[in-house]
Amino acid sequence: MDSLQNLIPETMLPDMMFYVFAGLTLGFGILVVANPFSRNPVTSAMFLVLAVISMAGLFVLLHAFFLAAVQVIVYAGAVMVLFLFVIMLLDIKDEQKRKIKKGFLLAGLLSVGTIAGLFIKGLHATRLDAHPSPTTEGDTALLGKLLFGQYVLPFEVVSVLLLVAMVGVILLSKKDLK
Amino acid sequence: MHAGLEHYLTVSFLLFSLGLLGVILRRNLLVIYMSLELMLNAANLALVSFSRFNDNLNGQVLVFFIITVAAAEVSVGLALIVALYRRRQSAHVEDLTTMKL
Amino acid sequence: MEQSQLMQYLPVLMLIVVAIGFAAGTLTISVFLGQSAKRTKAKDMAYECGANPIGENTPRFSIKFHLVAMLFILFDIEVVFLYPWAVVYRDMLADHATRNLILGSMISFMFILFAGYLYALKKKAFDWKN
Repeated sequence: MDSLQNLIPETMLPDMMFYVFAGLTLGFGILVVANPFSRNPVTSAMFLVLAVISMAGLFVLLHAFFLAAVQVIVYAGAVMVLFLFVIMLLDIKDEQKRKIKKGFLLAGLLSVGTIAGLFIKGLHATRLDAHPSPTTEGDTALLGKLLFGQYVLPFEVVSVLLLVAMVGVILLSKKDLK
Repeated sequence: MHAGLEHYLTVSFLLFSLGLLGVILRRNLLVIYMSLELMLNAANLALVSFSRFNDNLNGQVLVFFIITVAAAEVSVGLALIVALYRRRQSAHVEDLTTMKL
Repeated sequence: MEQSQLMQYLPVLMLIVVAIGFAAGTLTISVFLGQSAKRTKAKDMAYECGANPIGENTPRFSIKFHLVAMLFILFDIEVVFLYPWAVVYRDMLADHATRNLILGSMISFMFILFAGYLYALKKKAFDWKN
């Protein structure tokens, strides 16, 4: 490991990895939405798994180590498995390639353009010369202190949300519910 | 080049746009749902990078809650899709234009 | 110092690179070194004891336990919250101001989720036999 650190300066490696992971995330994201080779939802789901995992890499680069683990466990591990389950359950055929309707394309470009405008405006409005130095460590202990201190009420509300979701799922899925 | 806040925000913006385009242009309900997940992930990335560069952890706690809400949303949404599919035998938005089941 | 925690993830990165490299390398080498047989339509067909296969090659299979999978995700999230709780539990218990909060908050959280669990049990959500 020491030799590798000598090979690449320590400050360079995270920046290089940022470009790698950012590229991977965006590339896989494109393959989720518009895969030129396959219209099968299973392919989209598998690429979403890859996109989520490369985003976990970005989280590590942002020193959010615990969130990176959560991202892999919850998104890649649980949510995507459920997606695949449902795709298999529904037995959806490959979608036919079809012409994109002009109206939808216009709506899409309009909304993306609006967001792009807001984003660029926002970037220019901030003082870009004042580069904030990254300091925050995604320490699990600090995160827990904040979560169970200042954010303890949202935390309790989350349990109610999960309860509601549970009841909803059971009501929707059980056919012969008395 | 040093990867600063604006780089991360650009990635987040591009990912969000991708998800939005997917929601608007794709016709398969499940793919639309996956695009929604992509948009939520983009928001997460923006929050984490803000948290990293602004020296407080509030953003990361918010990401916690977003992941929770996303998981709840996915389970209820997929249950809805399954229920819908049982009635209509289709997960295509163009087949689901009437409100009556 | 600042980068040192990130550097702990260097082995993970190396592991990922080695894993992908091994899989990709094996596949590539086998393409170059292995003898490729001639592919015909009959050879690519699924083997069904000599008879031609009938119907689709991707039959639909019933996943009756998808409800359990959906409920699993909701309980999976609970574990995500339990983990930082376990990390800070001892510290916050030692502190007088947060002593009651740390235990009480998790007990009420679990209690509400347990109500959901009981509801699922009562509605026979875990029973996928029929």
